Amino acid sequence: MTTQRKIRLAALLSVMGPGVIAGLSDDDPAGITTYSQLGAKFGYQMLWVLVISTIALIIFQDLGARIGVVTRQGLIGLVRQKYGARSGTLSASALIIANFGTLTAEFAGIAAAGQLFGYSRFITVPVAALVVSFLVLRGSFANVEKVFFALSAVFISYVIAGFMAHPDWSKAAHGVFVPSMPLTHDAIYIATATLGTTLAPWGLAFIQSYAVDKRLTRDDLKLLRIDVWTGSLLTGIIGFFVIITCAATLNKESATNITDAAQAARALEPLAGTLAKALFAIGLVGAALLAASILPLSTAYSVGDLTGQPAALDDGPKEAPLFYATFGLMTFFASGLILLPGIPLIKVLVFTQILNAILLLPLLFFMYGISKDKRLMGEFASNSRMRAVYGFIIALVSICVLTLLWFTVRP
Amino acid sequence: MKSPSTKPMSKVVKSVERAVGRRDSVLARKSIRDSLVSVAGLIGCSVTNEDGREIGRLVDVVVKHGHDAYPPVSGLVVKVGLRKSFIDGARIAKLSHNQVQLSSTTINLTDYKRREGESLLDGDVLDHQIVDVDGLRVVRSSDLYLAPLDKEIRVVGVDISFVTFLRRIFPGALGRRATPQHVLDWSTVASLADTSGVVKTSGSKTALSQLRPADLADLIEDLAGREQSALIEMLDPELAADALEEMEDEELQGLLRGLTQERAAELLSRMEPDESAEVMRDLDGEHREDILKAMDSKLAKQLRQLIAFDETLAGGIMTTHMVIAQEKDTVAQALKMLVDSRDRDISDGVVIVDGKGKLIDHIAIIELVAAKSVAELGTLVGPPYPTSVQIDSPLDEVVEEFSNNRGASIIVIDEKGKPVGRILADDLVDALKPEEQHGLSKGTGALS
Repeated sequence: MTTQRKIRLAALLSVMGPGVIAGLSDDDPAGITTYSQLGAKFGYQMLWVLVISTIALIIFQDLGARIGVVTRQGLIGLVRQKYGARSGTLSASALIIANFGTLTAEFAGIAAAGQLFGYSRFITVPVAALVVSFLVLRGSFANVEKVFFALSAVFISYVIAGFMAHPDWSKAAHGVFVPSMPLTHDAIYIATATLGTTLAPWGLAFIQSYAVDKRLTRDDLKLLRIDVWTGSLLTGIIGFFVIITCAATLNKESATNITDAAQAARALEPLAGTLAKALFAIGLVGAALLAASILPLSTAYSVGDLTGQPAALDDGPKEAPLFYATFGLMTFFASGLILLPGIPLIKVLVFTQILNAILLLPLLFFMYGISKDKRLMGEFASNSRMRAVYGFIIALVSICVLTLLWFTVRP
Repeated sequence: MKSPSTKPMSKVVKSVERAVGRRDSVLARKSIRDSLVSVAGLIGCSVTNEDGREIGRLVDVVVKHGHDAYPPVSGLVVKVGLRKSFIDGARIAKLSHNQVQLSSTTINLTDYKRREGESLLDGDVLDHQIVDVDGLRVVRSSDLYLAPLDKEIRVVGVDISFVTFLRRIFPGALGRRATPQHVLDWSTVASLADTSGVVKTSGSKTALSQLRPADLADLIEDLAGREQSALIEMLDPELAADALEEMEDEELQGLLRGLTQERAAELLSRMEPDESAEVMRDLDGEHREDILKAMDSKLAKQLRQLIAFDETLAGGIMTTHMVIAQEKDTVAQALKMLVDSRDRDISDGVVIVDGKGKLIDHIAIIELVAAKSVAELGTLVGPPYPTSVQIDSPLDEVVEEFSNNRGASIIVIDEKGKPVGRILADDLVDALKPEEQHGLSKGTGALS
């Protein structure tokens, strides 16, 4: 009996990856910043927004993983195949630009977190860029994945920081289950941003390509579902702890104006102690490193997909030159941008966030279309009940995206 | 991208020739080169009747796969009003880069239905994965080129360059013109569009049949699900089985799930029994039963036995292929049996049994060749006697026996002493390889 259970656990562990890694990389510095703002400004009240975002994440990550396993193609390749040259090129281009912007944000996160420990960005950013490139260039799929898992473990620090902040658990439970929000500009904006940062386009493209690269088969689908649910739930749980940490400290002390996650960490120090600050900052570094590895990888997969060139971690640079060139160029320019003086970083980040939001909609539509295509999905095509769920989430995201655009155009 | 951005046509043709390895590629003909029509550009263009009046817009081009290396256009799918209709290929009078003219004024409009042996160029081939047989890789088609050849309009080439793909984004004539960049002759690619199970006899099939099984296995692994099954359907079963033996077990199980039971059964029966048993052992029970039922009952019984054995026992890694002869058979008969089974078997000799079927000896080919052809096998029996293990012997016992006797194979017997199979040295190597972890086994990196 125990051996049987051991075998099953081993099988699960071998399938594990796409869901956990894609999910947790959504808790990147931009995500932590948004969650910190949500907690600092509105306390426990808007925790339910995170719950809805997590459910949306579960549903679409699950779909992405399933499409990847069944069709054995990445999202952009399928878009090209099903929706033609224009749709494929347009979504790939938008994805590349948005990913580049997001990657810049990750390196900015590394720079900010490094400064918390007193290291100059001119050391931390190049080192991070080199580490990330070296990992992907030299490692096989299996080894790269192990490093991803190790990085994911860093997120536990947010949970510890959460407990150290002594949150009000009954208020937190109330915030999770009872939806309410002030109908102000700020509240709507932050709710939208939370959904947008949790369900990111690059995450959707990544989970699908990664499942293909991992060569998972239809037999793995059940286990993969456990992986996806675990990953998405963990993403939500980490977000939950970031929010309650900030709600219990910053919000209580009326320190509500947070512009980035590093600032949140700094503000934590007098309220929850030096250790809490350090934990928050360590989590930030891990989150940024994970996302900084995933983003160029996700882009490289998408470029390979669009062009029909090989794109796999186990192919060498000689076999897949485009894949590695994309990875290298993305990392080089995004990290270089952070080191240039006088770059209006905030503007880059706002633009990226908007582009990500706009891009999310067509990608969700494409995934919806692919999910019901019998020729592509066969027996795994979505039934009418699932399509209703997808439709509901797409409608929700549409409202959020339109709201976000509205607030951006006229603040 | 391997394709240079601009390249004169003559160079393109040369590179195609080089790739094709022969000079009779139709793309080498000037008349064909000058009349190439881009399929990607043609889609959405107007379809007119004899008088030049537009009757609809082109939705797709239907081609018929038959014995031709270059499949002819057998019809058009045209959007007339809100309806998608089929127009027979015989009615096409003129096909230019931005217009299709039909040869009559009245058109019968019938709804399009997929027919066997036909595929849709836009719906099934364009932007889909295809196999470049000469380049040994899986690519996406950026454009397809039509040209008049042997009194019909045929698909002659596939453009796989990214520049051509990007061209298609542009509106109007700019996006429509033929830009042959990196064109593969149609006869050297395997389009996997046809899923109806019709085996195509074309140039690509011949080319595929010349590949090494290991290369073919790599190609199969690179393809997406539906395309993968399509390629398998297209291959000669014997070759497909060889390629399948080279594939990773996980990969192979995924592939078998995409095939019909009959096809899966056919392929598995042609593989080495120990290999197919190993793959089937991990299939889910119902699916495995379906495949076994579709097999020859004798083989199915054998496989069931093999599957039932644990991989850590002798019975779980043995192959049931062997040549068994009686004591009183002659040397000539034994040699004939070996020759007859040479396709299925890699026997290094015959196994001799007595009247009750019990193992007596194993006689190597070299001994048979040296003996007189009329001699009875019984006269050749003598030491050294072959090493044998029980069917339920654990693996380390098998290893022990192997290292003691240093032979190339070892005989497996059942509890009654009857030979039931052999374990070859390579089976043992497979069995002893450290347990590969699923999904983590493909590492080729520095640390793995």
